[in-house]
Amino acid sequence: MRLLHWLPGRLLSAIVVLLGASILIFAAVRSLPGDFAQIVLGPLSNEEQREQLRQSFGFDRSLPEQYLLWLGNAARGDFGLSLASQQPVLDELASRLPVTALLAGMAMLVTIAIGIPLGVYAGTHASTGRGSAAARIVSTIGISFPEFVLGCLVVFLFSRFDLGLSVGAFTSPTTDFGRGVVSLLLPALVLSVFCVAATARTTRDAVIGVLVEPHIAASVARGEPKGFIIRHHVLRNALIPVLTLTATITAYLLGGAVIVERVFNVPGIGSYLVLALDRRDYTVIQAGVLLATAVFVIASLLIDVLTGLVDPRVSVAKKGRGA
Amino acid sequence: MTAVIRLEGRRRGVLRRSWDYLASFDGLAKTAMWTLAVLFTAALLGRLFGLGGSPTAIVGPRLAAPSLAYPAGTDSLGRSLLPRLLEGVMTTLLLSAVAVLLTAVIATLCGIIAGYRGGRTGGVIMRVGDILYAFPAIVLAILVAAVVGPGYIAALCSIVLVTVPLMTRMVGQATRLVAQRDFITSAVISGVSTPVIMTRHVLRNISGTIAVQGTYALSVAILVEGGLSFLGYGVQLPGSSLGLLVQEGTLYMVKAPWLILLPGIILVIAILAINLIGDSLRDRFEPREARSLE
Amino acid sequence: MRHAFPLIGGLAAATLLLTGCTGEPAAGGDDASTEVAPGFLAVADESIASSGTFRAYLDYDTVEPNGLDPRTADTARSWTIMGLAYETLVNIDENFEFTPGLAESWDEVSPTEYVFHLRDDAVFSNGRPMTAEDVKGSIELLLETGSAWSLQLGPIESVEVTGDLEVTVKLSAPYTALLGALANTPAAILPVQEVRDGTVDLKTEMVGTGPFVPTAHVQDESWSFEQNPHYHGLDELGIDAVELEIVPDEANRLAAIRDGSAQYVFFNNADALDLLAGTPEAKVVNQQNTDFYYVILNSTNPDSPLADERVRFAVNAAIDRAQLSDLTLAGHGLATGVSPVSLPGACDPEELPSQQLSDEEITKLLADAGAENITLSLQTWNSESAPGKIAQVIQQQLEPFGVTVDIEIVDDATYGATFYGSEETAGADIGVSWYAGYGDAAMVSRWWNTDQAGFTARFMQGSPELNQLVVDASEEPAGEGRDATLTKLCAAVDEGAEQVPLMTRPGVIAYRDDLISPTINSNEGYGDIFRYVTDFRLKSEG
Repeated sequence: MRLLHWLPGRLLSAIVVLLGASILIFAAVRSLPGDFAQIVLGPLSNEEQREQLRQSFGFDRSLPEQYLLWLGNAARGDFGLSLASQQPVLDELASRLPVTALLAGMAMLVTIAIGIPLGVYAGTHASTGRGSAAARIVSTIGISFPEFVLGCLVVFLFSRFDLGLSVGAFTSPTTDFGRGVVSLLLPALVLSVFCVAATARTTRDAVIGVLVEPHIAASVARGEPKGFIIRHHVLRNALIPVLTLTATITAYLLGGAVIVERVFNVPGIGSYLVLALDRRDYTVIQAGVLLATAVFVIASLLIDVLTGLVDPRVSVAKKGRGA
Repeated sequence: MTAVIRLEGRRRGVLRRSWDYLASFDGLAKTAMWTLAVLFTAALLGRLFGLGGSPTAIVGPRLAAPSLAYPAGTDSLGRSLLPRLLEGVMTTLLLSAVAVLLTAVIATLCGIIAGYRGGRTGGVIMRVGDILYAFPAIVLAILVAAVVGPGYIAALCSIVLVTVPLMTRMVGQATRLVAQRDFITSAVISGVSTPVIMTRHVLRNISGTIAVQGTYALSVAILVEGGLSFLGYGVQLPGSSLGLLVQEGTLYMVKAPWLILLPGIILVIAILAINLIGDSLRDRFEPREARSLE
Repeated sequence: MRHAFPLIGGLAAATLLLTGCTGEPAAGGDDASTEVAPGFLAVADESIASSGTFRAYLDYDTVEPNGLDPRTADTARSWTIMGLAYETLVNIDENFEFTPGLAESWDEVSPTEYVFHLRDDAVFSNGRPMTAEDVKGSIELLLETGSAWSLQLGPIESVEVTGDLEVTVKLSAPYTALLGALANTPAAILPVQEVRDGTVDLKTEMVGTGPFVPTAHVQDESWSFEQNPHYHGLDELGIDAVELEIVPDEANRLAAIRDGSAQYVFFNNADALDLLAGTPEAKVVNQQNTDFYYVILNSTNPDSPLADERVRFAVNAAIDRAQLSDLTLAGHGLATGVSPVSLPGACDPEELPSQQLSDEEITKLLADAGAENITLSLQTWNSESAPGKIAQVIQQQLEPFGVTVDIEIVDDATYGATFYGSEETAGADIGVSWYAGYGDAAMVSRWWNTDQAGFTARFMQGSPELNQLVVDASEEPAGEGRDATLTKLCAAVDEGAEQVPLMTRPGVIAYRDDLISPTINSNEGYGDIFRYVTDFRLKSEG
């Protein structure tokens, strides 16, 4: 019931954030240095050709007009043509989305499968000095390893020595899912290192936080078995900060994918975005960045709803708004 | 006369107290501080006294392995890597530190206003923060860098924009908690002006949060600078930064692995040290609260 | 730092140990430039019964404002890829001499009149036989675009169908490079009838007479081609299909050749030769190119020391090409004048006026011009690594002469905005980039003729004498007379020093000796690394 109270407001704020982001993106892309016609047509072109190109993409109109036109079309799912490939931007992004989604999904899976158990272990064994220190160092190293350093090392090791997995060949998951997963294994692992460590740290802190609460002490006093306490009381309550973290991790995976895809030559949205930026492919940059922000906004909205369901005591206001 | 003596006495006291304060950290944090201090000093000496030679001069054969003459080997243009590494450490640390200082100022100002004042101004600040926060860090960073044009300034701007939203939010939250406490209410009742309350009472009580968040922002800053330089949007040649050196080294991984390993390892060590210090500060200032991801 | 050293030492030692243990011979060295036959670095073994898929990895894709339209294609990679589907009237051989293409033979009736006799078995991939009208129409369609390549075609007056399979091209002035221009993909023979009636859209389709037809293309990712069933040389093809992967990152292309997922890979970085040490199946060859690196010395800013021709000439002379090549291109770049040194009849770069100056003379020249202790701004771009490296070496080479160079390395778009597409003087004193060198010694010099190349206006003033030399070089028939003109042209470019040619831009091709037997020419004019693709043989099914 409380959900119904805050959900409309929360939805509104998500829309405001998305609109704000779209203005920011549009403004940023249009203030990129370098004349787009110049870049597309090259130095050998003449002014007449450039003007013609600008007109054909509507760049001769006023900026607010262009923005509204873009937004209106975008709302209908039309993001225009890629300036480089002359194909609809939506098709270009859609063809690369499965790769990035699989990459991020695999990384997320690794994060949950390793990060949470690790954090629970570290949290429940916090009092035993050595284990706690080890957990602390390992997880801190994890969040201190930039993907591009780790990724380059992995590319080096796996291309120099025969270690079973190949880093040069990429198989699209849409043509052969199994081989696609295998070829994304190393990138996903590199991408997940930071998230595993971050999740472990948050889970550990959350578990410690819950453990000192009075009702846990009461359960211990009642003589409930340790496993039962962890499953029923600790995990349930510790889940909330971890859930909140998931939104942050989603954003992180989207950003990290840019670098990891570049390092491992994975043809996903991230590497496409960097390429588009190099080329000043306005329509692709606008749509790509907007997509990234939309994914994050929607993910955090969903997670807020989920949190609200798990623990009705939590209101959004108290959490300081997750978007 | 007496005033001077008092001043000196006080100054010694400050030094003494800072030393005691540093000494009170645990072993891990202390090691981390020492590591950073060594890195910074080496970089500073390198810049001041030309330790290891000029970072741009072509001095030897290409891709020579580490030796007495070139302690860190040479790069693909026959430049000694050691001075380039030292310059890289300096650039990376300085750039990140300046950026985080800027972030701290902006975030503290906005955070206190938003947290203490609330209302429409606070709402607008928080909403702008939300919008920036919705961008994946590296995506926002390359977008900003592309607009500004690759280079130092681009790296600086990107780092600030990436780190400001989270820090503003944390400062805002801390401020809100402080603002509800009794001593603020009594200060308001006794007619103390708002700016005074904000600086005297609020700022002093949220300084721990600022220190913790600032430290974590520093590690994010180094990550962003590295990622940006790696993608070609950060510091540009012939300048040097750790991220740029790693990027330059990728091509020579097989033939000259030191070109990527040395800057890579230093980069990891620097971030690790900063994170350890951050953890230590956090344990100190926020002993038992639900904590956010840095 | 303290931690880092022992660890690195250990790792480096481990690497050396592993390399040493396997005892693999290092690829590279002089091996890579050794010719197996005159003009060739590799020659396909045509006795191999071959079929299967040819897999190549390229550095970048076709990116053209007009999509797949060859007429306006500007980059070598577009020419290479489109060249799989299209053919040209004439071809160019390993010695830059012209050989039959879609024209079986041709007569040079006079310096201004060429008659082409077409082959009778050329058929477009849609099944329609090629006619003389297609040839006439293709040249006209190219001229209509006003593209860079239409300029290279020269002063064409008329194209007429003069027989069943005969086309006559008339020029308004002699133009030696005509065949050179007709030999490149932008002058491909198109299915004119279909283009004109709108049933074939050149932007999105490739309907040519060439050996392959594209079946799939994902921008910046991959291309798939299969055989053109109507190709006239179908019986001699050793390849059933072509798969191209676009892989911008050099380290990943290296990995692909190491593990055999690629049979044939192109590299820009000359160090790739050494980096493939340890993969004995990978053969690496160093293909010389007519493309060359050049520096812009902006003469149009009156406030810059470079406004003085003496300063520009001194800066030009102070650049040591040999060291530049050694440090940035592993010694594979060849010093060149404005006529690419690897082309027949090119001027001798050793004889250039700037190369005759001693260090003292350079210093004196700068002193005379009042340009002691000057600071110049340099800008170059970062999507390839060589220009930035060249900039850094030039900075070091100029320093002893009291010339301080402030380097700014920017993304390609920013570089473009600094030097092109506006009226005012360029935003930097010096620029570093490269030009495609093409297949005739006079072709690229067109970009030094300020009457013809308007895009240089922001940094180049040129002179009527220089413009005339460019025109002369393009009109004179090949031979001693033209060689003398080229030498004069090179000297004029060298002394004016507004765009200074530095050295050629070699490419590196790696291929898997156990998977493929390719033919690779030592010297390429149009960046076409698939020039002999119809001769390639696959050693095992790919």
